[in-house]
Amino acid sequence: MDRREFLRQVALWSAGLSVGVPHFTIGEALAADDRLPLLAHATGKNYRDLVDRVLSPLGGMEKFVRPSDKVVVKPNIGWDRNPAQAANTHPQVVRVLVERALDAGAGEVLVFDRTCNEERRCYVNSGIQEALAGIKDKRLKLFHPDERKYIPVDIERGKAVRRLDIYRDALEADSYINVPVAKHHGLSRLTMGLKNSMGVLGGTRGAMHHNLGQKLADLATVIRPRLTVIDATRILLANGPQGGNLDDVRVLDTVIASVDPVAADAYATTLFGLKPEEIESTVAAYKLGLGEMDLKKIRVVQA
Amino acid sequence: MKNKKKIPLYYWRRLSQLACLALFFFLFIRTDYSGSDTIEYAVNILFRIDPLLALSASLAAGFFILLMLPAVATVLLTLILGRFFCGWICPMGTLLDGCRTMAPHTGTGKERRYRPLKFYLLGFLLVGAWFGLPMAGYFDPFSILVRGLALAVDPALHAMATTFFTYTYQEAPAWVNGVTEPVYAFLKATILPFSQKYYDLAMLSLGILLLVFLLERVERRFFCRNICPLGALFAVTARFSLLRGKAGASCGKCRNCREVCRMGAIDEERNISPLDCNLCLDCIHQCPGNKISFQFSRLSQGRAAFALSRRNFVGSLALGALLPFFLKSRTLARQSDEFLIRPPGALPEEEFVGRCVRCGECMKVCIGNGLQPAFLQGGLEGMFSPILKARTGYCEYNCTLCGQVCPSGAIRKLGAEEKKKQKIGNASFDRDRCLPYAKGIPCIVCEEHCPTPDKAIKFREVAVENSRGEKVTVKQPYLMDALCIGCGICETKCPLPGASAVMVTSGGESRNPAKALPDTGTAWQVI
Repeated sequence: MDRREFLRQVALWSAGLSVGVPHFTIGEALAADDRLPLLAHATGKNYRDLVDRVLSPLGGMEKFVRPSDKVVVKPNIGWDRNPAQAANTHPQVVRVLVERALDAGAGEVLVFDRTCNEERRCYVNSGIQEALAGIKDKRLKLFHPDERKYIPVDIERGKAVRRLDIYRDALEADSYINVPVAKHHGLSRLTMGLKNSMGVLGGTRGAMHHNLGQKLADLATVIRPRLTVIDATRILLANGPQGGNLDDVRVLDTVIASVDPVAADAYATTLFGLKPEEIESTVAAYKLGLGEMDLKKIRVVQA
Repeated sequence: MKNKKKIPLYYWRRLSQLACLALFFFLFIRTDYSGSDTIEYAVNILFRIDPLLALSASLAAGFFILLMLPAVATVLLTLILGRFFCGWICPMGTLLDGCRTMAPHTGTGKERRYRPLKFYLLGFLLVGAWFGLPMAGYFDPFSILVRGLALAVDPALHAMATTFFTYTYQEAPAWVNGVTEPVYAFLKATILPFSQKYYDLAMLSLGILLLVFLLERVERRFFCRNICPLGALFAVTARFSLLRGKAGASCGKCRNCREVCRMGAIDEERNISPLDCNLCLDCIHQCPGNKISFQFSRLSQGRAAFALSRRNFVGSLALGALLPFFLKSRTLARQSDEFLIRPPGALPEEEFVGRCVRCGECMKVCIGNGLQPAFLQGGLEGMFSPILKARTGYCEYNCTLCGQVCPSGAIRKLGAEEKKKQKIGNASFDRDRCLPYAKGIPCIVCEEHCPTPDKAIKFREVAVENSRGEKVTVKQPYLMDALCIGCGICETKCPLPGASAVMVTSGGESRNPAKALPDTGTAWQVI
C-alpha cells in the first residue's frame, strides 16, 4: 500500500478535483510480522497510572506518536450512558491517552465518535467531554463528526463490503489510536477494537450488521490503528452494547494494549470467559492476515 | 429640565419591540439541549404570558392552569395600559412592522369591514375550548410564529448553511475556506440548529406564517386588526383600560394621525379607540398642532363600542358550542388512530388536546427529531399537536425536555426515572420484512439500540434456511411488551429501506389503561 498515494487521492476527492473514489490497496506490508506480537496487560485502581503502566512495555507513547503527528484518539462514545454503566470508554483512560499524545509532541490530537444516541448527550453523559475539557491545550480537538467529511473508499481487500464512507480525519491521521471499551453485544457477542472502528463510518451503518464479522475485518484493512488500548476497567456482561443496568457491569480495573489489533481483541475476549474463535470479527481479521488470534502466539506482559 | 432634542416617545416603543424580539429569538434558539438535562431558561415564557392560550387551555382543562399564571399579569397590565402588548411586546407585531417596507400595503388602511372578525373568532374559540374543540392554537400569533420558525424556517436555515458551506468546502480554494470555515463554525455555535431536522407540515406551517405577512399588503397590521384572537382579548380588556389616547377636539384637516396609525384606531372625528390602539405613539409626533396626548383617565369615561353584529356573534358562539358534538360522530371518537403516539408525560388524550396550545416547542426541543405535528391523525381538533413518528426519529431514553418546555402542562414535566417508566407505545415486528425472519439474514440492529436496561427486544437463535437455500443460524428478535416503552428507536434505526420491519403503535400506552396489552397486566395502570 502506498499511503502517500492514497492520501493524495483522498485530498483530490475532497477538493472535488477527482471523481475517482480513493482506492485502498494493501500489499505485502500487511503480512503478519513473524515476531510474536506483544500485548501489555495491567490492573489497578488508579486509572491514570494504569494507562501509563500498560504503555511502558510497548515503549511508551513516544513509540506511537512522533512530533507534529496528526493523532486520532478514537474512543467509544456511542451511547447516552454514564461511565459506571460501561457502555462507553472510561473518560480517564481517554484523557490520559490524549495527554500522553500531547506530551509526545503531537501536532494535533483529534477525538470523536459517530454516536448511536444523540451526539451531544453521548459526549456529555459519557464523561469524556468533561474529562477532556480539563486539558487546556489548543492542539486537542473534541468534535462531532462533520457530515461533509465522509469520503467513499474502495476496499480492495474486502470480502463482504466493497466500499465504505470513512471519516477523513481517520484516513489522514499519522497515528490512529483505537480506545474501545470491551463489552457485550447481542449480534457479535462482544464489541472491542474492530467493532469500535465503526465509529468512523458514515452512511447507514445498520447494513454492516449483515455479515458483521467479515465486514469489520474488511474495515480493519483500511482503519489500521498504530495502537489499540482496550478499556476493561469495567466490562458489560449483558444487555450490551448500551447496557444501563449496573448488575450487568463487572469492575475489572484492567487495561490492555497492543500494536496488533487482532491480538488485542483476542486477548480481551478471554476476560469474558470466551475464546477468540467465538468472535467472528477476530477470526475474519486473522484470516485476512491483519493480526494474531492464537493466544499461544501472543506475548503477554503483565505491566 | 427641558432638553431641546428630547427622545421621541416612539423611540422607547421601538426599543422595547427590538428588545422583546431579541429576547424572543434568544429563547427560541435556547429551546434545545445544551449539555444539561434541564433547560435553564424559561424558554416557553412567551406562551405563558398569553392570556388567550391560558384561557382556552384552562377552559378545556376545567380549572385554571397555574403554569400559565403569568398571563394574569398581562391582563392586569392591559387593564392599565390598553393594548400596549400588541405595540410594544408582541414579536409577531414587531416582525410585521419590520417587514412593512418590504410589503407596502395597497389598501386604504381604513377598511373596517373585517374588524369584528377577531371578536367572532375569539368567542368561537373560547366556547369551542370549553365544549371540546380546542383550536385557539391555530390562530394564536405566537403559535403561528413559533411553529413556522421551528418547523420550517429553522431547518431551512440549516439546509441553506450546510449547502453553502459544503460548496465552499468542496469547491473553493484553501484561502476562501480560511474565511468561510470559521464563519460556519461561528454560525453553528450561535444561531444555527445543531442538526438538520425534518418536519411534517413544514410547508403548511410556513404557509400560514407567510399568509400573516402577505396580509400586510391589504393594510398595515391586517392580522392584528382583524384576525388575531389574542388581540381581540386584549381589545375587550382595553375597553376598561386607564391609559387613553386623546386627540384635540378642534384641529385642522391634516388627518396625519389617521394616516400614520398602524391599527386604524383613529376615526374621522379623531377619537382614538382603545379597542384598536396599540400605543405605538407615532401619532403624537405626526400631529402638527401637538394636540394628541396619552393620559390616565377615570374609569367613568365612555366605553368604546365593539360594532359587532349580534347575530354573527351569537352565531359564532353557537358554532363553538355545537361543533364539538359533531366530533363525536367520527370513527375517531370510538377508535383512535393507532399511530397517534403522544410524547411521554402526555395527559390522557382529551385533556391533552384541550391543553396543547400547538406552539411547537416540544417538536423544536425534541433532540431525536421524533416529535412531529399531527395532521388529521388526532382529528380536526388535533392538528399541529405532537405525535411521535418513529420512522423519522425516536424518543431519547434519558431526555425529558418536551415536558420541560410545554407551556400548558399538556405534557407533564417528568423526572428522569419517572420518564423511563412511561410507556408511550409498543413495538411489533413485521416478520415478512424483518431480515432474520424473512430472508435468514442476520441483523438485530433493533435489539442493539433498544435502550431499556433489561432489553425489551430480545432474540432467539433459530436455524433457518436462507433465501440461497443454506442452513444458517440467525437471531430473530421478539418483543417483551412489559419492558417496551415505545420510544421508537428500533423503528428509526431499522436498516431496511422504506417502511421499518419493526413498528411502534400506541397500543399499551400507559396514559390510557383501556389500551393495556394482554401480558402487561396492570403494571402501569393508573389506580
